[in-house]
Amino acid sequence: MAEQFKMAQPKEYFKKFLENDIRPDDRELGEFRPTILNIGCVSTAEGSALVKLGNTTIMCGIKAEVATPDADRPKEGFVVPNVELSPLCSPSFRPGPPGEQAQVLSQNMADLLRTSECINLEDLNICPGKLSWVLHIDLVCLDYDGNVMDACTLALVSALKNTSLPSVTVDEETGDIKTDPTTLRPLSVSCCPVSTSFIVFDHNILLVDPTHEEEKLATGAITIIAEGGNLVSIYKPGGTPLTDEQMEDCIDRALKRSKEASQLIGETLCSIDR
Amino acid sequence: MASFTVVKTEDLAAEQGKGPACVLRGQTSDLGCLTRQDGSVSLSQGDTTSIAVVYGPAEVRINKEQIDQATVEVVYRPKVGLPRPEHRKQERVIRNTFEAAIAASLHPRSAISIIIQETEDMGSNFSCCINSSCLALLDAAVSMNFMVAAVTVALKECGEMVLDPTKRDETEAKSVLSYVFDSVNLQVLTVVSCGKFSRAEYRNGLVLAREAAKSVFQFYRESMSKKLLMSQ
Amino acid sequence: MPTDTRRLTGPESSQSPYNFAPCSKLNLSNLEKRPDGRSFEQLRPLFLRTDVVSQARGSSYIEMNETKAICAVYGPREVLKREDFSLKGQLTCDFKFTTFSCRQRRQHQQDSQEKDLSVQVLEALEPAVCLHKYPKSQINIFITVLQHDGCALSAAIMCASLALASAGIEMYDLVVASSIAICGSLTLVDPTAQEEEAILKSTVKLDANAGAVTVAFLPSLSQVSAISSDGELSFETLNKNMQACVANCQRLYPVLERTLIKHQQELEAAKT
Repeated sequence: MAEQFKMAQPKEYFKKFLENDIRPDDRELGEFRPTILNIGCVSTAEGSALVKLGNTTIMCGIKAEVATPDADRPKEGFVVPNVELSPLCSPSFRPGPPGEQAQVLSQNMADLLRTSECINLEDLNICPGKLSWVLHIDLVCLDYDGNVMDACTLALVSALKNTSLPSVTVDEETGDIKTDPTTLRPLSVSCCPVSTSFIVFDHNILLVDPTHEEEKLATGAITIIAEGGNLVSIYKPGGTPLTDEQMEDCIDRALKRSKEASQLIGETLCSIDR
Repeated sequence: MASFTVVKTEDLAAEQGKGPACVLRGQTSDLGCLTRQDGSVSLSQGDTTSIAVVYGPAEVRINKEQIDQATVEVVYRPKVGLPRPEHRKQERVIRNTFEAAIAASLHPRSAISIIIQETEDMGSNFSCCINSSCLALLDAAVSMNFMVAAVTVALKECGEMVLDPTKRDETEAKSVLSYVFDSVNLQVLTVVSCGKFSRAEYRNGLVLAREAAKSVFQFYRESMSKKLLMSQ
Repeated sequence: MPTDTRRLTGPESSQSPYNFAPCSKLNLSNLEKRPDGRSFEQLRPLFLRTDVVSQARGSSYIEMNETKAICAVYGPREVLKREDFSLKGQLTCDFKFTTFSCRQRRQHQQDSQEKDLSVQVLEALEPAVCLHKYPKSQINIFITVLQHDGCALSAAIMCASLALASAGIEMYDLVVASSIAICGSLTLVDPTAQEEEAILKSTVKLDANAGAVTVAFLPSLSQVSAISSDGELSFETLNKNMQACVANCQRLYPVLERTLIKHQQELEAAKT
């Protein structure tokens, strides 16, 4: 009976749960789904991480290549993030070039890397004007069950922290490039931005870490990226207008989550080193 | 003949007896600047200009049809080149903003399209896009739940805040925040940011932007009333 | 080259740093032990799991040491184009390597190798699916290789057949696949990427016998659904190794069977 009710009246079905301050998957309104991190799972990539947020699964792989730097920025390298929402992860995606959502997510990742300054592009230079690193950061969604943004951010940061680059030298005279694959240098990542997403249900209830079903019923969404005590981004694309108190509440919770999540990344990295 | 009206905020401020030191840069609107569209406007905020046109409610593409409400479509055309992921993100924010503002349930199984052409980005381009789209919707007489006004604030390294920043202010600033407010309760509808900032800075920017949003709404009112006077 | 406006792009050309490293090539002529310590006819351990993609009708994950792939099955769903109408169901397959799955970075768009592999997987699976039970509809298989260390084709076939079965698609049998790489008198069962590369790129002609064979096999019907061979092989060698592949498939079958039973048991447990 519950299944039919959910199918016919998804909103009413949800309301019945929310009246008792609980969500259909047994979570409280402000509770995150269990977060699982697996760092360094792909050995063909220079850095990698798999993140599971409930069912939502994102795999991030970083492939490092070398290229000539831009003429106007001879001392900088490149970071190129791309998010792939493949038809594998959900029936709503079709094969072909990335859709609007994937493009927006890719841009969000690029904005995040730029504003948080967690990678210093000058660290990616090998020889000024001649050679720089290009970090191709590819995020593949393997299971699309809502809140892909938070999962992507976690995967991105974890994979960056896992990245080591082989030593590459350029011969001053001949210009020959030489790689020594035996000496690896870890990439320096200066900070650990964490994203926290909320949806607004029925114009007034805030739910954290929404599932795909909850996202479909949302009347608004908000994503806050925090790092330490600072805010890296507040992204509220339209939807229900929120009161200042609600916004403050979201910021509070995002700051708290950022501490917890960066601790989780730290612990996971430690357990790999051992 | 095209019936267009040009309203300037400088005149407005003078009319209301306020000094010319209005916090926002001078706004100029040209409602009905194009004739074949349902609504069109060319809006300048300082040197930043964008043209927004509205079609609709019109026929909707079958795969985008919604049985209980109108589908809002936004197309953003950059000044040069093809749209890239950054423009898609902009498009999406604008679309989500107007999905909340437009009374879409009045026109089920139809489409309301907003097309924005960036003509000159000299800072605060996002605000200019939102404000021009809102004026174009008013020009097309599309029913709305509320109007929206966008204001951009730049935070400088020294802690100073610049309202409606120019391109130069934006490049010098450590972060740039754009807020969009509704006209009923002046609550926050949309926020987009670029660059790190603290909580207090977010709050201060909000207060400043909210105050400025009132003058944007006043500007809408004046623009519309001038247009209506002209058409009589 | 037209730039991709729907993705973020880096510099126009870039290359792998390992192109500038001294290459360590595997010497096949006097190989005593395989690089990963296996004996020549030893298979890699096979790990399988179903129900890994919550949104899909059926899904599975396969791991053969460093070869990792995931597969999701959607459908049966409506055929959108009217001209594609047929009374027999349609099976489609989309095979993709992730950009970071191989030593050399791959592109986002499907390349010719991936298109070729899509067709090979499809042809290996089609004989096993009761397509006449799904008129006017299509079943979509999506395979993504997360990490490639040899035998991507056989891994993909097994992964997809398990995903189809877990989706409850009616089938005559599961499909098991196995491959062998051959270099002269040397045969390497279940080769790694390094071994595959060494054999296919070996410049020394070793009595015209250098290549690889992959066989897809329906174990309970005892029928072969697809054979794929690369390189130059004499008829006797091919024949001998195909039989070896079939024998290996039979050894792998219980693993698939057990995974499917476990999947069914979990399904029953969830119902009660």
